[in-house]
Amino acid sequence: MAKDNAALTRRDFMKGVGGAFLGMAVGMPEPACGRVTQPATSRVVLIRNEHVVSGLNDYDGDLIQAMLDEALVALFGLESPSDCWAQMIRPDDVVGIKSNVWRYLPTPPELEQAIVRGVLGAGVSEENVAISDRGVLQSEVFRRSTALINTRPMRTHAWSGVGSLLKNYITFDRPPDYHDDACASLAKLWELPITRGKTRLNVLVMLTPQFHNIGPHHFDPSYTWPYGGLIVSRDPVAADAVGLRIIQQKRRLVFGEDRPLQPTAHHIALADTEYGLGNAAMDKIELVRLGWTDDSLI
Amino acid sequence: MANFFATFPPMWRSVPALAALALMSTALHGCGDRDPDRTAVIDLLPEQIGGWTRSASATYYDRETIFDYINGAGEVYRSYAFNQVVVAVYAGSQGPDITVELFDMGGPADAYGVFSHAREREEAGIGGGYEQRGRVLCFWQDRYYVCVASEERTADSDRALLDVARAISQRLPPASDPPDLVAMLPGDGLVASSQRFFHLHQSLNYHYYLARENILELSSETDAVLARYAPGSTYLLLVRYASDSDAAGALTSFKRGYLPDAGESRTVETENGMFVSYGSRDRFVVVVLDAVSETAANDLLQATLNGLRQPPN
Repeated sequence: MAKDNAALTRRDFMKGVGGAFLGMAVGMPEPACGRVTQPATSRVVLIRNEHVVSGLNDYDGDLIQAMLDEALVALFGLESPSDCWAQMIRPDDVVGIKSNVWRYLPTPPELEQAIVRGVLGAGVSEENVAISDRGVLQSEVFRRSTALINTRPMRTHAWSGVGSLLKNYITFDRPPDYHDDACASLAKLWELPITRGKTRLNVLVMLTPQFHNIGPHHFDPSYTWPYGGLIVSRDPVAADAVGLRIIQQKRRLVFGEDRPLQPTAHHIALADTEYGLGNAAMDKIELVRLGWTDDSLI
Repeated sequence: MANFFATFPPMWRSVPALAALALMSTALHGCGDRDPDRTAVIDLLPEQIGGWTRSASATYYDRETIFDYINGAGEVYRSYAFNQVVVAVYAGSQGPDITVELFDMGGPADAYGVFSHAREREEAGIGGGYEQRGRVLCFWQDRYYVCVASEERTADSDRALLDVARAISQRLPPASDPPDLVAMLPGDGLVASSQRFFHLHQSLNYHYYLARENILELSSETDAVLARYAPGSTYLLLVRYASDSDAAGALTSFKRGYLPDAGESRTVETENGMFVSYGSRDRFVVVVLDAVSETAANDLLQATLNGLRQPPN
């Protein structure tokens, strides 16, 4: 266990050094011994609805609003969604909603607007709310933000394994600086002055996740499926870990074999083991399941 | 590019929209006919292909601006000698638009390399080989990697992609053979379309996560091919270094980093019950990974070493 993580090899993962789930991230079977960091558990709410998806990027906004409301109540253990928003957001907060505009699978505008409604309902004035992705560093609201809400769809990605909540903050800095080792250091983005300690909520969109790529960057709808889910948590690492498991299980079902992501999405495990940002191990995640249960894959 | 923001309420989108305009300006900057390199590339794309007409404007991205087009996946292209890509749209009276990406990969080996990066099947008949999946068709030819994508998949789009790809192929220099390193792989047990040609450590880890450190000392000066073999899911890695001494140094580094328990043995059973074997000859290093038995590892290693040859002078 004393081995320097910088020198870790595939064989170390086989032995369990570096963490069980890190080994799994590179396609290894889960070894017997685990890891000892991050003692706190993280609550993650997985909510699904079989009617919310009509097609790719075609969603029922009312159902998305209802799903988000129900998920928040379960996440915070409060009486109503407005109570949850009031716990997350103060009226004097300046709130940046970090979205994702990838052309083929963007954050649904219906979800963005549901989040905006929650933020405004908490008493924040309109001029203190903005949604952005690639423009966050130019946004006056994001620059003076006191709170962030992070939301994006999960999809396979040719350089980081998956496009994750962790990766969604890459536009807060110079993206190529985080590309080494399949974006292994994405958790560092959460220590930037513009992000550190500000994230109040993470919503990983699993309405129509993408489980496979064509070539380095192409997209085909046949590699998405109507999962109809949202994963909601205050811990981005835990939310990503749950989403990743679903993606991996979908790949097993479709391909008929255990086909690891290429590249492996080890940035999620490393966000736990190296950066202590959150919990990636399922035994540290309290998974709350709501709604539709068929083919949940987890 | 404008579609990125088309579906969002304007009050929340002003800053990204401005950023997008700036980005488009950057991408379009200098794309007129005055740039001889770009003129030469765009001329490779026919203005008319059957009922499809190429749009008057095209966008260009180089090694620095590629991230504006495809985000982090741009690193895949940058891990090769990628020069630039031109993106053009063909519009037809029947059917959805077709987007063509023509990547100048610097040379035939790297055009093959990026084609091999993620292809699952390969068919002959266009360029050096092509793959059509869903609404995308990609092929490589000479120094170019070309992807043709339909905005939607329709009853006719598969045929349209083939027609457009073939027309572009006719404009390109003649197809080349795959890199000579690929031809050195033993044929027995080779899994079809599993060969990946690359140069860098991160590319190896993409296909087979070996180690965080670059223990094989891969670089832009090295050529490497990784392929899968039956039985089981055995991987064969063949690397050609710039010199014999570079190969010897890399092998020492690999032994120290990955097989510290090897001693004098050329084959090691690893923790997953599979076998690793390794060897070298001249500028080449050969590593067999995840073989199902010691004999299988040694046989594949020896067959590979026996097939090595230096490129002709």
